[in-house]
Amino acid sequence: MTDSAVQDVAAPSAKLAEKMSVRSLDFYYGDHRALKSVNVKFYANQVTALIGPSGCGKSTLLRVLNRMYDLYPRQRAEGEVLLDGENILDPKLDLNSLRARVGMVFQKPTPFPMSIYENIAFGVRLYEKLGRADMDERVEAALRGAALWDEVKDKLTTSGLSLSGGQQQRLCIARTIAIKPEMILFDEPASALDPISTAKIEELIDELRADYTIAIVTHNMQQAVRVSQFTAFMYLGELVEFDQTDRIFTAPRERRTQDYITGRFG
Amino acid sequence: MVDHTVRSFDADLETLDRHISEMGGIAEKMLSDAMDALATMNAELAHRVVETDLRLDHLQRTVEDLAVRTLARRQPVAVDLRDVVGVMRIAADLERIGDQAKNIAKRTTKIAGEPRLSRAVIGLKSMHEVAANQLKDVLDAYAQRDASAARAVWARDAELDALEDSVFRDLLTFMMEDPRNITFCTHLLFCSKNLERVGDHATNIAETVVYIVTGENLSGEDRPRGPEAAALP
Amino acid sequence: MSRLQASRKARSAIVMGLCYASAGLGLLALALILGTLVWNGFSGFSLSVFTRMTPPPGSAGGLLNAIAGSLIMTFFGVLIGAPLGVFAGTYMAEYGRDTHLTTVVRFINDVLLSAPSIVIGLFVYEIAVVPMGHFSAIAGSIALALLVVPVVVRTTEDMLNLVPGTLREAATALGLPRAMVIRHVAYKAARSGLITGLLLAIARISGETAPLLFTSLNNQFWSSNLNAPMASLPAVIFQFAMSPYKEWQALAWVGALLITFAVLTLSIAARVLGSQRTSQ
Repeated sequence: MTDSAVQDVAAPSAKLAEKMSVRSLDFYYGDHRALKSVNVKFYANQVTALIGPSGCGKSTLLRVLNRMYDLYPRQRAEGEVLLDGENILDPKLDLNSLRARVGMVFQKPTPFPMSIYENIAFGVRLYEKLGRADMDERVEAALRGAALWDEVKDKLTTSGLSLSGGQQQRLCIARTIAIKPEMILFDEPASALDPISTAKIEELIDELRADYTIAIVTHNMQQAVRVSQFTAFMYLGELVEFDQTDRIFTAPRERRTQDYITGRFG
Repeated sequence: MVDHTVRSFDADLETLDRHISEMGGIAEKMLSDAMDALATMNAELAHRVVETDLRLDHLQRTVEDLAVRTLARRQPVAVDLRDVVGVMRIAADLERIGDQAKNIAKRTTKIAGEPRLSRAVIGLKSMHEVAANQLKDVLDAYAQRDASAARAVWARDAELDALEDSVFRDLLTFMMEDPRNITFCTHLLFCSKNLERVGDHATNIAETVVYIVTGENLSGEDRPRGPEAAALP
Repeated sequence: MSRLQASRKARSAIVMGLCYASAGLGLLALALILGTLVWNGFSGFSLSVFTRMTPPPGSAGGLLNAIAGSLIMTFFGVLIGAPLGVFAGTYMAEYGRDTHLTTVVRFINDVLLSAPSIVIGLFVYEIAVVPMGHFSAIAGSIALALLVVPVVVRTTEDMLNLVPGTLREAATALGLPRAMVIRHVAYKAARSGLITGLLLAIARISGETAPLLFTSLNNQFWSSNLNAPMASLPAVIFQFAMSPYKEWQALAWVGALLITFAVLTLSIAARVLGSQRTSQ
């Protein structure tokens, strides 16, 4: 898909602001080219879903957006990823401040081995020196923001690991929003959860949209329909189609998109 | 199109398709029978048309049930979603076409005893011819998933509208010639309205076919209407 | 029942029988050893064991200087060895997971882990005792530290490798620098495992005799001078058990009992901590 094709579907209304823009992105695991000149945009206060079969590169793309791949040797990205116009692939970029701006929630809940309170306060302390009362307030706000406060307010000192899977995942979301990022990346955030917990996470993502730019990788197409405003369909490392979710799921332009979402892949 | 990974999904869609072509056949037959009954003042044939409508109603409910179940079970998207939703809309339109035929048949039973004015029915016959053609073409377009054929049907609706206008003027003339014709011609006036409605439903189906195939919604405003448009090639 | 099933059942019964027999044999040996130890150890047990020094031949006494010596040298051995081991293990698991250096270090560490302790003793004798000109507690501590290092390196690396990568990624995703991810998240997650490793290392060195014979030697009297020979339980046991004197032999049994219980306690503690980790 060329850049101009992306531009075509770009803004259904002029109100949408581009938060992040991926341009001609190539990604390599060693010699294997996992992303092939991908172009996609993430609009502010919109949820963008990345869908596609396993191994199509959607998680890889997500992990470029906060440079998570930097943790591993022999992985490299080429092209441009602009966050508010600034290229985050710049080797001189301060990764830690990038990751403070672009938070991430993972497939499996990953609470830290510490108390519920500390799970949230821990990250905040990195960036801000808050007094006891301010910190309490911040923790509460984050837990409320993640729709978890009522369930844990009486046991803030117990281990984060004592919570149920769905609660743990919301704790991870609370932890992420506590440091006030601008964008949140969700990597299949509900795939390990039961339907009720999944519904809560989806509801939460919809609420978070008011304050953040959201990208979500999901295998569950119904989930993509439910939570996202934009959808990018990826296949074999290429971005096949990027459009408004309503459009993708009622009348996709590309045959490959249609075959995938209607379950016609062999 | 490539089959679904889940084969029974394909089976469901095929069943829906079969029901639609059966409904289409019944609607076409009802319409032509109703017109034959009207032309020959055959009350018995008209009764049969009225009875056949039950079968059509029943089929429409079957289609709706199956479509709803398919929505719930498969949660179809994209072309499948358009297919299932389209089938429901087409079934409704076909059922309404059956109702129009039934109305014509009912009027036939009412006016069967009155003095006939054969030349008054000629206009209706040509309307029926056009409407029946439209219906046949649109059902073919659906079966072939042929958007351009459907568009052609859609654009031709103006022709029927124009015919209705001329039928209206003819009937008015007959009524003014001899007030004893008024009852008879008024009934025919309603029949012409019924035929015009059949055309509208055929047009609706054409829109649905285009939607199923392309995902586009043909907007009603763009459609050529009235006698002026009918003059267009 | 078919013949196939019957033959399977029979084979299963035979193998199960062999398993039970060998387990029973092992347990019997253990019970005999512990029984003898407890029997002989308790008969010589008294408060004076903890209050008096090792006696000259033929007179009564205790093991105070040996117990203290063991504690002191173990303490310094761990103090030197544990940080080294933890740092090395951390490097191997966190920074240099796939590097050549890690592979080499891991191999050498494995060799060290299984090296006979007497070799370690001789080595320290060469590098510490000979240059200094005399035996000393320092040399003993160094020898023990050399035994601690490979155990701690191994457990640290293993435990950190068990920390899920997703947890590290999650911490990194919050913007934590590498060092903080390791210190605040990886160590916390692996904490009980790391402590288990440390306890196992202590258990291992507290029973060592050979390296101490070449380094700290022994001391009949109380000494807290690190630069002088120092008594230790294993060395005292070795010396007393070999002697023809009844009182010494009795004290040797008591010492053996003390060490055994200390090691047993440490092992149980390590086991408990280990199970806590897995039950999280």
